[in-house]
Amino acid sequence: MTEAAKSSFPARAVLLAGVAWLLPASGHLLLGKRLRALGFAVCILLAFGLGIRLSGNLYRPVSGQPLSYLATVGAMGVGAPYYVARYALGYQGTAEAPGYEYGTIFLLSAGLMNLLLVLDVWDIASGRKEDE
Amino acid sequence: MSHLVLMTAYAALVGVFFALLWRRGRGEQAKLFLQIFLGMMIGAILLGWLMYPFPTGPAAPIP
Repeated sequence: MTEAAKSSFPARAVLLAGVAWLLPASGHLLLGKRLRALGFAVCILLAFGLGIRLSGNLYRPVSGQPLSYLATVGAMGVGAPYYVARYALGYQGTAEAPGYEYGTIFLLSAGLMNLLLVLDVWDIASGRKEDE
Repeated sequence: MSHLVLMTAYAALVGVFFALLWRRGRGEQAKLFLQIFLGMMIGAILLGWLMYPFPTGPAAPIP
């Protein structure tokens, strides 16, 4: 464990992880990993955009369906794009669309990929992970 | 878009993402990308080919 990991409360790591969740790849950008941040942003936003383009399901909690809560957490992992699509644009997805199943997978994957980035930012910022 | 195009796009996105996340250095990243990309593509085609003899049957009833 590095010196940074020994400090009491990792306020910087919490802040960076929060920003990383809200804006995909922004955590790596703030950590100075510009090229990697660009690559991550392209991957996540392209997956999210394709999911929307294919009219996939942007999960929301459905009472009586416990798995929908889990899927919603995964989809919300993409941060601001989820809320913009859901609440600002009123996006819901179209179950009858030919690309619905594929679109759902793209949307869910975008959220899960961003959650992995949040964990990575947390590890780097709190000193748990050595990163050049 | 066709199934193959979407499958290829998905495998490419996932491959690039994990190569950037888990490896440092262009060579190592390219190697992991190819492993993930080809693994997903060949695996999906192989699985589809193995399932080909199975009859599709009638559509499942919607509960």
